Amino acid sequence: MPKTKTNLEERIAEASYVCGRCGSCRNVCPVYQEIKWESSSPRGKITLAKDVFLKHKHNKMTEFYTQRLLECTLCGKCEEICAAGIHTRGLWLDLRESLRETGRLHPNFRHLGEQIATTHNISATANEYRLDWTDDLDDFEVPQSKDGSEVAYFVGCVSSFYPQLADIPQSIVKILEQAPVKYTVLGGEEWCCGFPLISAGMSGEAQELARHNIEKVRALRVKTLITGCASCFHTWSQEYPLLLGKSKQDLGFEVLHVTEYFARLLQEKRLMPAGLSETVTYHDPCDLGRNSGVYEDPRVILQAIPGLDYVEMFHNRELADCCGGGGNLQMVDSGLSQAIAGRRVRAAVETGASILVSACQQCVQTLRDAARKEKLALEVMDVTELLWQVLDHETGGERNE
Amino acid sequence: MEVFLKEIFGSRMTTDPFELEQYTKDIAYIPPILVRLLAKPWPRAVVQAEESREIACLMQWAFQKRIPVTVRGGGSSAYFNSVPVQEGIVLDMNHMQGVGAVHMAGKAEEPAVWVQAGTTWYDADERLRRQGYTLRSYPTSAPAATVGGWISLGGFGIGSIRYGPLREQILGVRAVTAGGEIAEVDNPGLKSEAEASAGGGGLCFDDFFGMEGTRAVITEAHLTVRPFPEKEAHRVLAFRDVRPTGRMIQELGQVSSVFNVHFSSPTFVAALHKKGYASELPQERYCLAVDLAGRQTEVEEALRTIRREVQVLGGEVLATEAGEAEWISRFKALRLKQTWPSLQAAELLLPVEHFAAFEEALTKLAKQKHTVVVTYAHLVSPETVLLMVLFPSDELNTLRYLGDLSFISRIYALGKLYGGKPYIIGLWNTSYLSDIYTSKELKRRWERKQRLDRPNILNPGKAYKAPFFLSRSVFRLGMGFLGMLCPFVRAGRESDA
Ligand SMILES: Cc1cc2nc3c(=O)[nH]c(=O)nc-3n(C[C@H](O)[C@H](O)[C@H](O)COP(=O)(O)OP(=O)(O)OC[C@H]3O[C@@H](n4cnc5c(N)ncnc54)[C@H](O)[C@@H]3O)c2cc1C
Ligand code: SF4
Ligand code: SF4
Repeated sequence: MPKTKTNLEERIAEASYVCGRCGSCRNVCPVYQEIKWESSSPRGKITLAKDVFLKHKHNKMTEFYTQRLLECTLCGKCEEICAAGIHTRGLWLDLRESLRETGRLHPNFRHLGEQIATTHNISATANEYRLDWTDDLDDFEVPQSKDGSEVAYFVGCVSSFYPQLADIPQSIVKILEQAPVKYTVLGGEEWCCGFPLISAGMSGEAQELARHNIEKVRALRVKTLITGCASCFHTWSQEYPLLLGKSKQDLGFEVLHVTEYFARLLQEKRLMPAGLSETVTYHDPCDLGRNSGVYEDPRVILQAIPGLDYVEMFHNRELADCCGGGGNLQMVDSGLSQAIAGRRVRAAVETGASILVSACQQCVQTLRDAARKEKLALEVMDVTELLWQVLDHETGGERNE
Repeated sequence: MEVFLKEIFGSRMTTDPFELEQYTKDIAYIPPILVRLLAKPWPRAVVQAEESREIACLMQWAFQKRIPVTVRGGGSSAYFNSVPVQEGIVLDMNHMQGVGAVHMAGKAEEPAVWVQAGTTWYDADERLRRQGYTLRSYPTSAPAATVGGWISLGGFGIGSIRYGPLREQILGVRAVTAGGEIAEVDNPGLKSEAEASAGGGGLCFDDFFGMEGTRAVITEAHLTVRPFPEKEAHRVLAFRDVRPTGRMIQELGQVSSVFNVHFSSPTFVAALHKKGYASELPQERYCLAVDLAGRQTEVEEALRTIRREVQVLGGEVLATEAGEAEWISRFKALRLKQTWPSLQAAELLLPVEHFAAFEEALTKLAKQKHTVVVTYAHLVSPETVLLMVLFPSDELNTLRYLGDLSFISRIYALGKLYGGKPYIIGLWNTSYLSDIYTSKELKRRWERKQRLDRPNILNPGKAYKAPFFLSRSVFRLGMGFLGMLCPFVRAGRESDA
């Protein structure tokens, strides 16, 4: 359903009226944990939303309040714990939409919107360079929009355009080759999934992207769409049906995160991991775990690796802490995002792990930067990178040191 | 003032109205017209303490200048307990978080731990679990409520039936007095003679419990804890009538492994069902969620005892999943607000033997008033239940909301008939002080307060004396008047039901 101004305001008013101001959401919020002022807590923000939208005290929508609304990673932990069962993450998105409706769009969000409208991706690079990350792959050609494929791999903007993360899509296609799987990528026909726009409160702009992407994948007549990006996965599986007013089944193909797909391949014994003697912990990406419900598959992959000593971080699964990289927070306050990431990597080190694994490029990048800044002896990698390194392929299955 | 506070607290002090406004509220909505009449809730500054020394400096200065200081934990209370009534400074304790190492202490050589006052009960439990221990009791607001906050209020919640009131689980408290002295006070009942020492700052152990931050600022508490139990079990018992439910609650008070008993009225369950919650609970039944913990054999024996008793009383034990689901949602009572976003509430301690009779009388009263009431309760000792009575109101309609306030006083009056009394005082319940304490007790409380805080700067306006408009006679008049508003707003009530 399109988010019109009236139904947006009604929804915000309704949700804020339900809030009991109990404060259960306060202490779990990664932003409140850093800022520590009540106005930065979910409860504080909802209290003001109630004044503005339910009680029509519009003068309370100040610049500072607007800033507070954007100081949020959309991690959804407040929703998990909310004593009144409020869908707070949806409320934060509605509030961002309302900021945009009333001309309060953050300048960096506006710039992002213009960028995506121009290049169809989050970078300034033209979209036809989407497959630059395949340049180093000498052993095989990555098939592009290939007819008769079973699986389409939706790479995502971060994997496609950030060379420092190219290892992730490369590992994914190498694994697909090894299984082997009849797969294809969309190349320049893949557009940004729209997640950054939805997070910015610009879901209207995301609709065109959604329609385009769905049409292109449908044209391939694949059975399955996989993606390695937790946010792309969330958008495809949860937001596209909402944006287009359709059900998941209407897409005409199943949508899986690569960890779900690779766990399946492992179960079918199409992938055989060799050993790894390291202690490894896993960070649940908010968009894969709490916001999409995938918790077990990444763990299944890690636990299938012989010799790997798997340890959980204390806050895991539904209660996992955010890496700080979500909700476009880096565009609003990069220092805050880094501080949140710092907490998470320190928690990883507390487990005794030498490797912190995640299943999202954005999380990997944010946590990797944090581990470096904190000078921690902690390697941060994507689960697909680790899986490729331990697979029993032509290198003998041992991890390349 | 600003210069002084900045010097101590640096960026952890604010006078920005945007921030201050957040500290003018707690969980209950009070119409601005009443707030204006009875309180000055806007603090002049909020400060966030990180250590006792900062609090000591603040208190010495405030004591000398006679500036009120209101201590705030999670702000999850409902009677303006942590909202200033006479402006001044709000002391936000949420930076003081941390849990020490579990060690053996006290007369009984029990596992115990020092916990900082700004730690939430939920976090404290989580950190204890990492050490293989868990809390003995905690409030159902555990994710929000701080250690200092619950010590300062009722101290009854989950686990109380097994381990008694919070007072009995604390070996000692570290605090800062109103005059700014740092003190440590032991629980004389729980300390070994060798450990027991005279309290510092003239404080004694009872100056903390239920004192609403009026006698000292708690900075740390020495909590006794329990090892993680060998076995936990969760069940729901359902009854058609309230009388056998009341009997069952009484019986459960005698079963040794019982850790928690939670009662839900059929109206409470129906309101949750409306929004798709608690589907595991049957309609039109009085439900008791019973949680057990202990050694495997004890828990199993207790389950057998419970089954027998339920059969005798004509109830049923629901499938295990129902018990698990209720346990998982033990912090989520506010989901009721999905059905009625605006609620008013009365919270009572009631003798368990009169629980069923009170419920029946309350249902009758609600019918007369053309409203629906929902109740839920915890058994907090073999003799007492802590009962929450809620009914829908409408804060967007001030007239109706004010009219509904009079219904709260009717509920308390009814409770009194059955030996009940309000649980918490704060500002709004000061009218009921004489229902809670004898006049001798009131006098002693006030004398003690004056001894420790002569200028009356720690959380003034709460817990001891009613302000003019809440004094007994004025309050009665006011409630009578508000009650007269009720017929005008009845239509709204009937549509809620
Ligand atoms: C959903 C829900 C469930 C609840 N369940 C329960 C329950 O099971 N049992 C129960 O008793 N209550 C319950 N409450 C009420 C409330 O949460 C508790 O009373 C809680 O203990 C308040 O703690 P707080 O940290 O929020 O304190 P606040 O509300 O911030 O303060 C409460 C009082 O304590 C004082 N105070 C706070 N910290 C300190 C300190 N460090 N030193 C001195 N004084 C201090 C304040 O001045 C104030 O008077 C519930 C509330 C909600 C919203
Ligand atoms: S979504 Fe995460 S960051 Fe945003 S308010 Fe909730 S807990 Fe805080
Ligand atoms: S936990 Fe839910 S009800 Fe409680 S303050 Fe937060 S948003 Fe409001």
